[in-house]
Amino acid sequence: MIAVWYVIVSLTLIIYVVLDGRNFGAGMLQWLVARTPEERRQVVAAIGPLWTWHEVWLLGFGGTLLAVFPRLMASAFAGYYLALFLISWGLILRGISIEVGGSINDRLWQGFWDFVFAFSNFLLAILFGAAAGNVARGVPVDADGNFSMAFFTNFGVRGHVGLLDWYTISIAIFAVSILAAHGATYLTLKTEGPVRYRSWKCAKYLWAAIVPLFIAVSVESWMVRPDVPRHAIHNPFCWLGLLMIIVASCTLILGLRLRVEEWAFLGSNFLLVGLLATGGAAIFPVMLHSTLAPENSLTAYAVAAGRNSLLLASIWWPVGFALATAYFVFISRRFAGKVSVEQDT
Amino acid sequence: MRLCLHKLTFGAPSIVTGPSGTRTEHSFIPDAVDDPAPGHYSKRSSWRRRLRMGETMHKADWRARVWRGVAVLVLLVGVLLAAGLCVADTPHDSPVSGAANSTLSDQAFWSRFQFGFTLVYHYLFPQLTMGLGWFLVYWKWRALKTGDEKYNQAVRFWAKIFGLNFAVGVVTGIPMEFQFGTNWAGFSRYAGGVIGQTLAMEGMFAFFLESAFVGALIWGEKQLGPRYHFVAAVGVALGSWLSGFFILVTNAFMQHPVGYQVDSDGLLGIASLRAYLLNPWAWVQFAHNQMAALVTGSFVITAVGAFYTLRRLHPTQAQLYLRAGTLVGLIASLLVAFPTGDQQAKMVGHHQPVTLAAMEGKFVGGPRAGVALIGQPNVEARRLDNPIEVPGALSYLAYGTFQSYVHGLEEYPESAWPDNIELLYYSFHLMITLGTMFILLMAYATFQNWRGRLESSSWLLWKLMLAFPLPYIANTVGWMTAELGRQPWLIYGIFHTRDGYSKVVTSGDTIFTLIGFVGLYFVLGLLFLYLVAREIGHGPEEELILNPGADRGEMVVRPTEEHFA
Repeated sequence: MIAVWYVIVSLTLIIYVVLDGRNFGAGMLQWLVARTPEERRQVVAAIGPLWTWHEVWLLGFGGTLLAVFPRLMASAFAGYYLALFLISWGLILRGISIEVGGSINDRLWQGFWDFVFAFSNFLLAILFGAAAGNVARGVPVDADGNFSMAFFTNFGVRGHVGLLDWYTISIAIFAVSILAAHGATYLTLKTEGPVRYRSWKCAKYLWAAIVPLFIAVSVESWMVRPDVPRHAIHNPFCWLGLLMIIVASCTLILGLRLRVEEWAFLGSNFLLVGLLATGGAAIFPVMLHSTLAPENSLTAYAVAAGRNSLLLASIWWPVGFALATAYFVFISRRFAGKVSVEQDT
Repeated sequence: MRLCLHKLTFGAPSIVTGPSGTRTEHSFIPDAVDDPAPGHYSKRSSWRRRLRMGETMHKADWRARVWRGVAVLVLLVGVLLAAGLCVADTPHDSPVSGAANSTLSDQAFWSRFQFGFTLVYHYLFPQLTMGLGWFLVYWKWRALKTGDEKYNQAVRFWAKIFGLNFAVGVVTGIPMEFQFGTNWAGFSRYAGGVIGQTLAMEGMFAFFLESAFVGALIWGEKQLGPRYHFVAAVGVALGSWLSGFFILVTNAFMQHPVGYQVDSDGLLGIASLRAYLLNPWAWVQFAHNQMAALVTGSFVITAVGAFYTLRRLHPTQAQLYLRAGTLVGLIASLLVAFPTGDQQAKMVGHHQPVTLAAMEGKFVGGPRAGVALIGQPNVEARRLDNPIEVPGALSYLAYGTFQSYVHGLEEYPESAWPDNIELLYYSFHLMITLGTMFILLMAYATFQNWRGRLESSSWLLWKLMLAFPLPYIANTVGWMTAELGRQPWLIYGIFHTRDGYSKVVTSGDTIFTLIGFVGLYFVLGLLFLYLVAREIGHGPEEELILNPGADRGEMVVRPTEEHFA
């Protein structure tokens, strides 16, 4: 039961990262792939009317986490206090810049909001990357299951760590690059004209850069948490995730080589899913590793809500999930197709 | 620059004014550097390229850029150094100790204040979307039935306002959910298994519905066709009301906990989802709250209608707004008071008698208790100063007969009193006063409308136009009554507010983020008001701009002497 809920909660987060990740990526690359105000509006239009739907997955994740793993939400959110508020401010800035940027046809106004848009997306990608690094490395959880963290301490990965150290920063850099590559792949699919051409170039270079970065990050992860791979090789889900990474990479490479943008985007989506799923499966059942003492770590079994709450939640949750998917399919079919310069939001 | 443009325009005016003309503007784009050296005009280069070079001639001086960059760096380092010196200079044995400022170090207070502030601000937006949603459905339905274009125009116009409200509602809503974990970790740990259920349901059932269809409602009229556009309007209205329902179930659990059990680890879990969702408090509060949201929606629609009528603009639309707004406003104002408000008060009297006593400033209990029309609670002296009361009204309203006994605050220990009786009293009485005013105003407006004199009565139109902020105030003080009245409990009767906040977060962290929210929300509010005012200024009858560059002031070619030369 608890393992199933671990999968569901991870799934909502993975869906959020894959969906909003392309918006982060597209936003970061906005000034690189678009060179006139009209082209920049084209990038914003590519994100489309469904960006709030993407963001709702974060709310779905937060709500489900609170319902199913209340003690984890309490410890983690209080511990990441300032980082989480930076994220929520970033999300506010990003949301406003999408909504108000296009509403006035003025060069300065749009230029300003395009800048806010690119900056907030970049900030969000860094913060989410650093957050992922923190989950992988562990945080200084004490015997009561609480922790509080400074932004950085001594940049080391043991003992009283901070939010940023050499490991989490490199994960953040990796996250920024892979989300940028993901966003570029999405823009290739969704735009046309010069934006599409530049996105295509960006996607090729960025995906090429991902390969050495990925190797570096893997080695670093192994150095920081040597205990994880020892557990992970016994977990079939890790092998499944690895298989997904390989298949997705092949699809992505083929798509890039043969210039089939649908394949490339599909591969890029599933590559992200595979990476996150492998990571999630590898650390299970520990949800928050303690850098102070391994016995302080918060496991899914220790932080889960009561059995009855979990049972009741598993009745209505799938219904909500099915409905959400149905709306999405309905709307995205209606809004499928390329976004051109002329078509204004 | 201007010269250049005009020359160009003279040669090919259609290019500049047409859609592609939008490209002929300034651009701070990086590829301008790729241009050949200034002055190098090749015959092959297009007019666009030449124009760009003409603009960027002075900017291409990279040396100046480098120097500027260095200067900024030096300035930054200087500021940092100065700041460092200031910090280093501060004497550490300063005699002023931080403990003296007790309020600043009270983490529980600041967590409450931050949650209250962000929540009150957030709720300014959903109350309008919940109120507008069914107006959109109704107009879309009328458009489907009658084929009258004025209804479609109304939907298009109000959908834009709805969209702005929805977007601000979403971005200000995310910090609310975060704060359950960041500032109220004690509460989340204790009751997350219960309240998390409805918060997750809100995301899964309501937000996905609303957010999937809101974009389609605003931009997708063509792609969807009239029938599906109507479906989108229903989806959006339903989604906004569902999200209100789940939040009110969560709040009702905090006011009147039902359907829970204490699990083996001492934390709360769900015992019966049915009992939890069918909490009578939740349904009464939901009805009361949704009617109040409809009041906000109808007052805003009426105000816009009154504004257009007074300005003699868009007469058809203005009439539509005034009629729908005043009628729905009257019905909703009546329903807010009776039966929903009445039932809500009875519920408080039944389950939280000490809260009712505090709301009315009743220190001494007794039968034939009156409702104070005027008066200020004096907690120190334990009495209501200069009261003017309607005798017996409170007994009757809360318990059904004039003889009913109403408990007084003195019957309870002070530790059980709501911790700010004055604020609670003022909030409650302001809500009641405003609610009564709404009924009177809307009844008079509906009466005048029935006589056909609404559009010509500029005195009344002025009142209706200026009245739209009042429902926002009423909704806010209503919620303040509910939440201040619940104190000192976080979950009434089982969990104290002082146990709920995050112990690992310092008050300084919270004050810091609170200040951040105040600043960010101030700017957000200005932007929102500006954009809404702009939409209202454009009006509902504006045609869609087919040419995105058409309303660019600087692109309009004005006849100058050059043209005539």
